[in-house]
Amino acid sequence: MADVEETLKRIEGHKGVIGTIIVNSEGLPIRTTLDNSTTSLYARLLRSFTTLARSAVRDVDPQNDLTFVRIRSKKQEILVAPENNYLLVVIQNPSE
Amino acid sequence: MAEVEETLKRIQSQKGVQGIIIVNSEGIPVKSTLDNQSTVQYSALIHQLVMKARSTLRDIDPQNDLTFLRVRSKKNEIMIAPDKDYFLIVIQNPSA
Repeated sequence: MADVEETLKRIEGHKGVIGTIIVNSEGLPIRTTLDNSTTSLYARLLRSFTTLARSAVRDVDPQNDLTFVRIRSKKQEILVAPENNYLLVVIQNPSE
Repeated sequence: MAEVEETLKRIQSQKGVQGIIIVNSEGIPVKSTLDNQSTVQYSALIHQLVMKARSTLRDIDPQNDLTFLRVRSKKNEIMIAPDKDYFLIVIQNPSA
């Protein structure tokens, strides 16, 4: 658990990081540095997106699997690392 | 048109690049370096994914828009650069 804390602190302390969210296998955010409503919104939307990305990868090759997603937009970049049905979401300012 | 060809050649010659597809706004591939079947499959799946990425971002912030998408899997990485009328898909082997 201390490892997890360390890693999260390292990520959160990175220049440009706006927020981090961990979403569990049921789609519930279990840790966040953002406010509740923003967190719920991101958790719901990104879980849905990640599921689609994963099935796209598997449709092309059933032996393959999704390891990372980066959604870059004008205002920010959203990084999603899926693992065991959990999601680690990091939102950062892309220009920093 | 020559510029487009040049750019595609340059990307194609990068180490690790497995394929390039240009898809129009209706999801129809207009150019590809892959075989027909793969092209059609990737185009359809990625078109869906791009639409989802765009709506995910707009749900969070209606003023925002997608500038780039990277889907990394165990076997390769798919990079998508969306534009107003087209999107450019490049599939690469990240470890090459």
